[in-house]
Amino acid sequence: MIIGGVVGPVILTILVVFLPAAGARVVRRLVMTSLTFSLPLALSALIVNVFFFPGGTTVLLTIGPIRATAEGLAFAVEILARVAAISGAITLFYLTTRPGDVVVDLERRGVSSRVAFVVNATVQTVPAMVTRGQTIVDAQRSRGLDTQGGVWQRIRGIVPIVGPVILGSIAEVEERTMALEARGFTRPGRRTLLWWPADRPAEQVVRWLLVLAVPGAIAARAAGLL
Amino acid sequence: MLALAGLSYRYAGAPRPSLIDIDLQIGDGEVVGLVGPNEAGKSTVCLVASGLAPRAIRGTLSGTLTIDGEDVVDWPMHQLIGRVGIAFQNPRTQLSGVAATVYEEVCFGLMNLGVPRDEVVARAGEALELLRIGDLVERDPNLLSGGQMQLVALAGLLALRPAHLVLDEPTAQLDPEGTRLVAGALRDLAAAGTALLIAEHKADMLDGLCDRVVVLDAGRITIEGPAGAVLADPRLADLGVEPPSRVRLARALEARGLDPTVVALGAGAGGPA
Amino acid sequence: MTERGVELAVEGLGHVYPDGTRALDDVSLVIPPGARLAIVGQNGSGKTTLVRHLNGLLRPTEGRVLIDGRDIAGERVAALARRVGLVFQDPDRQIFSGRVRTEVAFGPRNLGLRDASLDEAVATALEAVGLAGEADTNPYDLGFSRRKLLALASVLAMGTPAVVLDEPTTGQDAMGVARVQAIVAQLAAAGRTVIAISHDMRFVAEAFERVVVMRAGRVVLDGSPTEVFAEPNWPALASTYLEPPLAARVGAAAGLGSTPSESSLVDALAARA
Repeated sequence: MIIGGVVGPVILTILVVFLPAAGARVVRRLVMTSLTFSLPLALSALIVNVFFFPGGTTVLLTIGPIRATAEGLAFAVEILARVAAISGAITLFYLTTRPGDVVVDLERRGVSSRVAFVVNATVQTVPAMVTRGQTIVDAQRSRGLDTQGGVWQRIRGIVPIVGPVILGSIAEVEERTMALEARGFTRPGRRTLLWWPADRPAEQVVRWLLVLAVPGAIAARAAGLL
Repeated sequence: MLALAGLSYRYAGAPRPSLIDIDLQIGDGEVVGLVGPNEAGKSTVCLVASGLAPRAIRGTLSGTLTIDGEDVVDWPMHQLIGRVGIAFQNPRTQLSGVAATVYEEVCFGLMNLGVPRDEVVARAGEALELLRIGDLVERDPNLLSGGQMQLVALAGLLALRPAHLVLDEPTAQLDPEGTRLVAGALRDLAAAGTALLIAEHKADMLDGLCDRVVVLDAGRITIEGPAGAVLADPRLADLGVEPPSRVRLARALEARGLDPTVVALGAGAGGPA
Repeated sequence: MTERGVELAVEGLGHVYPDGTRALDDVSLVIPPGARLAIVGQNGSGKTTLVRHLNGLLRPTEGRVLIDGRDIAGERVAALARRVGLVFQDPDRQIFSGRVRTEVAFGPRNLGLRDASLDEAVATALEAVGLAGEADTNPYDLGFSRRKLLALASVLAMGTPAVVLDEPTTGQDAMGVARVQAIVAQLAAAGRTVIAISHDMRFVAEAFERVVVMRAGRVVLDGSPTEVFAEPNWPALASTYLEPPLAARVGAAAGLGSTPSESSLVDALAARA
């Protein structure tokens, strides 16, 4: 009871999201980012539940045929609290973790080097593809492609822009593959890692506590304790 | 010593062989230039000499590739790269794509080979020093100039300590500054005793750098000999190979009945120190 | 389609990129119709930024860009493409068709050409770059040098009175360079303006009548090749990593004054003999 409803998620959010965020000095970015990406979901949950909650009797507001109910509002707030907790947690992870670190750590623990490579290479490829895309747009505009015209114009512009992006990337693949082979990429077995994130005992303890808290909470809920 | 003997190569699915009966040796510390028109097979020679063909680029190989007398036909790629390295013309596609810094990039090959960490550090350091790019270690390899990127790619290869290095038009996509950087690095490598096989169009670059030059046409070696003599051979023009500037100028003067030796006055004059 | 030439001008042109870097600083140039202008300088000197203002891809942060005396500020890139054609350095950033013919037709089609006049424009352009026999080939079956020529053809076919070439000879073999030189001459003979960014000082000295040297966003030298490559300017050129062509160095060393092109050197020597 004390952990359900609205209070539970709020406490969780403060403890597990905001405190660490404050420690990592990312509170402002956390709020901005998680608001941005959870806003559509939050808004729709709010509207649907406030106005269409079944069994709502205490009417707060009437707009034409639809009525806003207090029960609906209470339920919506519960949902929003949970959305906040989840989106806050995801955003915190995204803001405080470097993909390279995660991948190296996984590799140290036995994930195949090839998988690690694919993840890292994808991250680095994206900015290069973006600049490449921009040059392609410029080149085609210089040949008279009108990117500021109507819808039909823009649709006709897709192939001349997407085409070189894809063809160019494919043409590059063969070169990249040869270069990788020339650097021993195809050697079977583990590769040497120069470094990996430290895994201090305190971190391990916290991590295990968090992991065990999940089945623990589920069990407590099932047993009617929460 | 890297030797191709009676070597022919046909790409998978190709109607005709790209290389026919090639005999080519690169002795320890020798610098050999490879010239010829486009589609003559220069890139194929590089791919075969490094072992990428037929291991990564499928095809049929007849004849032998030997390194220090040993036939390497059964060697897997990761065993070959410690003996012969290969560099390509596009500096960007030679980057691993997973290194955040130049240092990691140079270590990439050694890491792949499972070399122990201390040795990785030591050998990467050597390679960086050999190419004098120690000041670039913290930089993001994607943000370097073309010439710098090529040097980083070379450092990554040299960390594997191959005795031979094959280069397929290493300066083709570089500006003069980049070309100068790479040409200087190749000079240093030659001086340090690495054997080099350089496929190039820039005859001027090969002119000062190579001991021998080999001319490839339609998959066969047609002319071979000391660099100076081969680059001045009149048959090169018919093959669409641009001779060095000094040769071209000298010929233009001779055609007008003028004394060609005046061209030598231009050597070393002007230009950056 | 080919009209009389246009006059291109920039007045007090400055450009600062969104991240704060200043790429151009108070550049003023007037390029008369039918001019052959080469813009040289090291990477980062502002050459590419400058030419991208000529067809509206970039807009000035200071100053103006004028075509035939009129400010182009309000005009769209697609409209300016009628008058200023820009060939990018990397052909693979524009090629998207499965056939050479359709690739070349893209530009003129965007400008409104159809049927017979479109076919003619395509055929003429392919002829000029030597790809007439490859009209139905897949562009990626052509080597890099010929894809560069294809990119050039695709802009030539648009028949613009001004053509800007970004590093047309980088990555080209000897035959390709000769072709590009011939095309520059042809365009100028037809009264069309040609502007090229290049690193190849020999190409610049041989094919262009005016050279603009840039450094750090400013013009540091502007004149004919004879003026720009004269010995007193060598230190300035060196500071931008540019080396005068061999012909210039020989001429200066032989006391013949400034002879940047081979023909000028040969003529000067013949005159003295």
